[in-house]
Amino acid sequence: MKELLSSGSGKIGAAFFIALVIISIGVIVAYPANFGLRYWSNPVLWADNPQVAPPSWTNLFSSEKHLETKVFESTGQAERLSEPGATRIVYRFNLNYAADEAPSFTSLTVQNVSYQDRPPIIAVTVQRPDGKSIGLYQLIVSGPRPGEQPPFRRYYDTPFRVQLSGEPNVASAVSDFLEQQFSLPISDQDLLVKGVDQAVFGVPDGDGGFKVLKGNYTIRVDTLLYNQSDSVGHLKYVVGGSVFGLLGTDTLGRDLSVGLLFGFPVALFIGLVTSVVTTFIGTVTGIVSGYMGGKTDTVIQRASDILANIPLLPILIFLAFIVGQNLFLIILILIAFGWPGLTILIRSMVLQIRSGNLVEATMTLGASKSRIMFRHIFPQTAPFVFATMIFSTPAAILAEASLSFLGLGDPSLPTWGQILESGFQNGGVYVGYWWWILPPGLLIVITAMTFVLLALALEPVVNPRLRRVQ
Amino acid sequence: MKAARVLAVRGATLFGVLIVSLLLVIVVLGATGVSDRMIDSLVNEQVRGLRQSLAQTIRDPDQLERVVSEQRQQLISFYGLDRPWYTRLPDMVWRVFTLDLGSARTLKSFEGSTRVSDIVLERLPNTIILVTSALVISAVIGLYVGVKLATRVGSRLDRAMSYLSAVSYALPTWWVGILLILVLSFQVRLFPFGGIISAPAPQDPLARALDVIWHAALPVATLVVASVGGWAYAVRTMVLNTAQEDFVTAARAKGLPENVVMRRHIIRVAAPPILTNIVLGLAASLGGAILTETVFNWPGMGRLYFDAIMALDENVVVALTFMFTVLYVVSRFVLEVLYIMLDPRVRY
Repeated sequence: MKELLSSGSGKIGAAFFIALVIISIGVIVAYPANFGLRYWSNPVLWADNPQVAPPSWTNLFSSEKHLETKVFESTGQAERLSEPGATRIVYRFNLNYAADEAPSFTSLTVQNVSYQDRPPIIAVTVQRPDGKSIGLYQLIVSGPRPGEQPPFRRYYDTPFRVQLSGEPNVASAVSDFLEQQFSLPISDQDLLVKGVDQAVFGVPDGDGGFKVLKGNYTIRVDTLLYNQSDSVGHLKYVVGGSVFGLLGTDTLGRDLSVGLLFGFPVALFIGLVTSVVTTFIGTVTGIVSGYMGGKTDTVIQRASDILANIPLLPILIFLAFIVGQNLFLIILILIAFGWPGLTILIRSMVLQIRSGNLVEATMTLGASKSRIMFRHIFPQTAPFVFATMIFSTPAAILAEASLSFLGLGDPSLPTWGQILESGFQNGGVYVGYWWWILPPGLLIVITAMTFVLLALALEPVVNPRLRRVQ
Repeated sequence: MKAARVLAVRGATLFGVLIVSLLLVIVVLGATGVSDRMIDSLVNEQVRGLRQSLAQTIRDPDQLERVVSEQRQQLISFYGLDRPWYTRLPDMVWRVFTLDLGSARTLKSFEGSTRVSDIVLERLPNTIILVTSALVISAVIGLYVGVKLATRVGSRLDRAMSYLSAVSYALPTWWVGILLILVLSFQVRLFPFGGIISAPAPQDPLARALDVIWHAALPVATLVVASVGGWAYAVRTMVLNTAQEDFVTAARAKGLPENVVMRRHIIRVAAPPILTNIVLGLAASLGGAILTETVFNWPGMGRLYFDAIMALDENVVVALTFMFTVLYVVSRFVLEVLYIMLDPRVRY
């Protein structure tokens, strides 16, 4: 251990390893158990994110300022107004618009509505910096079905989401607005093609197009309830940008940073489980084979000779393809073909140790075979075994990543390899979605590097000849 | 005659490797019921051909149907589709061995053939070109750099290189390829995105060769980057180990010039273990080739693997798994022969 921390690479490696472990534990604690299937592979959850958006910090390097996605939710201050026979709840969302482009989309999501007799009405109005305001959209919650008893519950299981940018009613409202305020005749259809948001967040540029109107907008969402016990659980208004978060999004609008974080514990799990089990089997078979000799030795040596020589990736591809894509299967195969290499090495070490004085002495004292093997021979191989374990960890991580990259990853768990694969499959390399391709690969490299650095620091321990030189 | 014996033992082991991989493939195919499906499609294909040729001679549709279904039954029992899968094992081993795997589901060879053997075999040369040129380049660079490093152990260059080789061990080959495409094809537009030859291929043989080299530059560079660090480091360590032997000190004491000591006394002795290292890395570089071809759309067997996985083409996947094992076993054998030539201790 002291040797490990005495070298520079050992220190860096140990620091990285601790960081990896801390992140992994954090992720395991913070993420839901079935994250892969329920969350990551569920497009509904990512609908309100812009698609293939680069990270937001790219704004710092570009001359044109891109819009960052803004999400407004009905959790803050609301104004309650009493009206004859109704209650009006008003949410005001303030948006300081400074980007040089129109939003990529705007959307409204309504969830958990319940009412007694008359369906509530939800309306969205945009108040612009030039003092004009547009009544964009009005939602009348669907009425009672025949035979249904109050309270009527709506949008509980699946939230109601409307993409305002593609909504014909919104287009018609904006068309009227342009006609009245700017005397600009434009049909609903043309507006939908040009992009409704261009007009809502802009002024006509006189060329048939729109230019962005910067300034402070207020998006006002009114909810009209007709009964004391009526309620609208959750409202969400989203202005979709073209840059997103720390690491951007993919074609489904998934926040890549979320998926990449999840990759940490998965990668560590694959690497550590495989290397620990492989090393264990390899060490035991190696010691037994070397010490027992005779038939046992021959059988183990022949078997490991053959297994160690089977090219791993083709077999791995074949098995994952035919049997199914399952993380545990992959780990099992990696173990099954991984141990023999170590067996051969340990055996040759044991052959040397066996002829030494220590073993001879303990044998004379009448120690049992298993005692000699594991109390006297094993400790002498231990440093080497430990170093091999660390050194073999990245191999498993890289093998899983390669398999995922060929489209044979476990679909229930997002891994770095899979994120990279989907980036590659979606042509990310040819159109330059670098934020989708570089980070997962970089994380794989960093994780693998961590173990390589640790192994490098252990090399003088394992190979005393090198120690003499340095 | 010890060399022959050693060679025979290694050959037997490698043959065992081939047989075990083959058995593994076939047992998995049988146990999962995939082999039934494959033979079924083989029978269907033959029945289709039979029906066409019989239709020329038998005019009566009922009689034709009867003959065809009779033939079908015969084929089914011939291929053993009516028996459990394990009884067909030897037959199936032979079938894979001769690449007699019927036709691919959707994939086609460049000439349009759907036979699995045609598809796979015409791509074999492309893979071999890629892997061997990468191997030769890495070997040359690795040997040169490794020896250089061993002569100045502990220097800043040596330390930097040992870190670099560690990095190259941790680099996934295909990611390096992607990086090269992103930088040199997408940003700088210096190299093509992939493929082996430009779309209207140049007519002139010289221009053709140059075009292929231009296309091969990035994939080969990828494979070299991924393996050269390991090469250099292995050479360095082996040379270093040998350099500490007494006979080297003795050679120096005799007053031999340093480059003679290096050439005759160190490298000559360090060569076999270096070769062992290469042998161990061979499987990895073949695997690297599969992924590199995928990234660069290089029309070799690796890219075919990826295409077959995407098209769920079982026959092709089986054939490729076998082909890669054969390729590995054959190149391993070549290296074993080399080893025996290099290491006098085995020969005498």
